[in-house]
Amino acid sequence: MNRRTGRKALRIAKRVATHLVLVGACLFALFPVYFIVITSFSSLPVEAISASSLIPRPSQLTLASYQAVIYNSPQPGFSQMLVNSLIFGGSAAAAGLLLAAFTGFALSKFNFPGRRTFVYFILAISLFPSFVLILPFYLMFDHLGLIDTYLGLIIPYSAGAVVFSGILVKNYMDSIPDDIEEAALVDGLSRTGAFFRVLLPLCLPILALAALLAFVGPYTDYALAQQFITSNSLRTLALGLFSNYSYTTTEGSAVWGVVTAFALLMSLPIFAAYLLFQRYIIGGLTLGAVRG
Amino acid sequence: MTGIRLEHVTKRFKSDVAVDDVSLEVKDGEFMVILGPSGCGKTTSLRMIAGLEVQTSGHVYIGDMLVDDYEPRERNIAMVFQSYALYPHMRVAENIGFGLKVRHTPKAEIRERVWNVAVQLGIETTLNKRPSELSGGQRQRVALARAIVRKPEAFLLDEPLSNLDAKVRTNARIELKRIHRQLGETFVFVTHDQVEAMTLADRIAVMDRGHLLQCGTPHDVLTHPVNRFVGTFVGSPELVVLDGAIETRGSETAYVHGPIRVPVRAGAPAGPMTLGVRPWDISVERSPGEGRLAATVAGLERTGSHDQVFVEIPGVAGGAPVTLRALVRSYDFNIGDPVWVGIDGTRALFFDPEGALNDSLAAPSAGH
Repeated sequence: MNRRTGRKALRIAKRVATHLVLVGACLFALFPVYFIVITSFSSLPVEAISASSLIPRPSQLTLASYQAVIYNSPQPGFSQMLVNSLIFGGSAAAAGLLLAAFTGFALSKFNFPGRRTFVYFILAISLFPSFVLILPFYLMFDHLGLIDTYLGLIIPYSAGAVVFSGILVKNYMDSIPDDIEEAALVDGLSRTGAFFRVLLPLCLPILALAALLAFVGPYTDYALAQQFITSNSLRTLALGLFSNYSYTTTEGSAVWGVVTAFALLMSLPIFAAYLLFQRYIIGGLTLGAVRG
Repeated sequence: MTGIRLEHVTKRFKSDVAVDDVSLEVKDGEFMVILGPSGCGKTTSLRMIAGLEVQTSGHVYIGDMLVDDYEPRERNIAMVFQSYALYPHMRVAENIGFGLKVRHTPKAEIRERVWNVAVQLGIETTLNKRPSELSGGQRQRVALARAIVRKPEAFLLDEPLSNLDAKVRTNARIELKRIHRQLGETFVFVTHDQVEAMTLADRIAVMDRGHLLQCGTPHDVLTHPVNRFVGTFVGSPELVVLDGAIETRGSETAYVHGPIRVPVRAGAPAGPMTLGVRPWDISVERSPGEGRLAATVAGLERTGSHDQVFVEIPGVAGGAPVTLRALVRSYDFNIGDPVWVGIDGTRALFFDPEGALNDSLAAPSAGH
C-alpha cells in the first residue's frame, strides 16, 4: 500500500466515521417519534412491543386507537377540544402579534425617555417562570369574572406572546436601516403609513416565526388551562391528552395506543403551521444575509 | 420657483451643536454641493431640508414656503440616500413607482412614468428584479429613478456616489450632471469628496464643525478660499502650505520661508504669515532661470498626463530642506534628478496666523 492510497483510505474512514456518528444522533433523536408512531398504530399493548416487534407486521397494524381518539375521547370530544385549542392558540398569535409589532416598532424606531429601561423591564418579565404567574392571574381574573371563559385565557396567552414577540420584532427591526423608513417618509408616507406599508412587510419573516411560537405556547399549555378551565366545553387538547391518559389507566389497562394517537393528531396543526410559515422563516434568513 | 433657503439654522443633539447658525440660499435650478469632512454637519443640514430632522432654531424655506412645521411628505422633495435605501421586498419597478402609488397616481400613469424614467437611466431590463440582485451602479440608478419619477421640486442627494467603484463613480458623476441639465431642477448634493464637488457644483458650500465657511462657485472657492481650512480642503492635489514670515530687506518686502521668497506688496507689516500655493503653480524645469531655485527630485507619483513631483530645495545656511509637491505635465523626471523650481507668486494665497485669508498682500504687479 503506497502513501497515496493510504491517505485516500484514511479520508474514506473519516467520512464513514462522521456519518456513523450523524446517523446515530439522528436515530437517537427520531426513535421516540418512531416509537410513538408505531405504538399508535399497533394492536398490541405497549408492554408487548419488544425489540422483535419494533418493525410491526401488517397484521399487527390497526386504526383502532385513532378511532378511539376521534369517537370516544372524553367530553367535549376531540373535535371540540381541537377547536378550543385552535381558538386559544390562534387568537393569542393574532392579538399578541399585532401588539408585538407595535411594541417592536416603538422600541426600535422611536426615541423616547426610558426606552432602554423598558426593554430591560420586558426582558426581566420574560425571565419569570409562567407558573409563578398562575396564582396572581387566578385571583385577578376571578375578580373580573373571567375564570372559565375564552377571554380569561386569551388575555394571558396574548400578553405572554407580546412579551417575547415584542423583543423578537424589535431586534429584527433594529437590523432594518433607518434610511428605508426615511425613504418611505420622503416618498410620501406618514410614520404610520411607513410602518404598515414598508416596515411591517419587511418584518414578515420574524412575524411568521413569532406567530408560530405564539401559537404553539397556548396550544400546548397545560398548567394555566388546567387552573382556569372548569367547564368541559372549554377543554383543550392539552387537557384532553392528560385526561385521556388517566382515563385509560383507571380502566386498568393503559391504552398507550390511544394516548400516542391523540398526541400525534394533536401535533398535526403544528406541523401544518410550520410548513406554512417555513417559506417565510427561511426567506427571512436569506434576506438578512443579503442585506448584511 | 423653488429655491431653498436656510435662515440661521441651528441643530443641537443634546449638548453637541451639529449645525451652527447656517444661512444658505440655493437658487432655483442650481446644483449646490455641500462639501465638508465627516461630522461637519452637511448631512444634518440636508436632513433638515428634507424634514427628517427638525432644526433647534432658525427657518427652512422651500420656494417661498416656510416649511418648518411640514412633514417630509408635505415638502415635495426627493432624496437619494448614501445607502440607496431601496425597499428590499419590492421589485425595481415597485421601488420606483412607490412614491406615485402612495400619492394615488393612476396605475397606467405609474407604469408609463416608471418605464420612461427607467429608459432614461438605462435600467429598463432590471424592472422585474429585486434590489438584492442588482449591482451597486444599478442600485444607485434605481434610487435616482425613484427620485426623478415623482417630479419633485428639489432633489436632495446624500453622498449618492460614495459607495460606487471608482470607474462607475466617474460615469455616474457625468450622468448626474446630465440629468441635472435635463431636468433643470434644484439639486442639493452632499459630499466629502472635493473632486465631486468641483466637477458637479454650480456653487459649493464648504462646511466644517457645524459652520458654513464659504459658499461660492468652484473657481471662487479654489482661488479665494476664505481660510486655510477651505484652501487645503478644496483642490487636488492638496494646496502646498508653508508657515513663514513677511520680511522687508532693503526696498523689497517679501514672504520668506527658508530659501523661498515670494515678493508681496511693499510696506506690508512684518510678521508671521502662511503661504499657500497650488501644486500646479509650482514649475519644475531642467534649466536654471530667473527666480528659480536649485532642487532635487525626491519623489514621483505618475498619474498619466500629469506627474506629481516632490522636489527638495536645500535649506539656507544649514537650515532644514523644504519639500514641495508640484503638479507638472509629464517630463519623465527621475528620482535624484537635479531640477530648478519656480513658484508663481501671482496666484499665491496668504493666510494670517489665525488661518484667515489675507488678500492685501499681493504684489502690485500681480493684480487680478
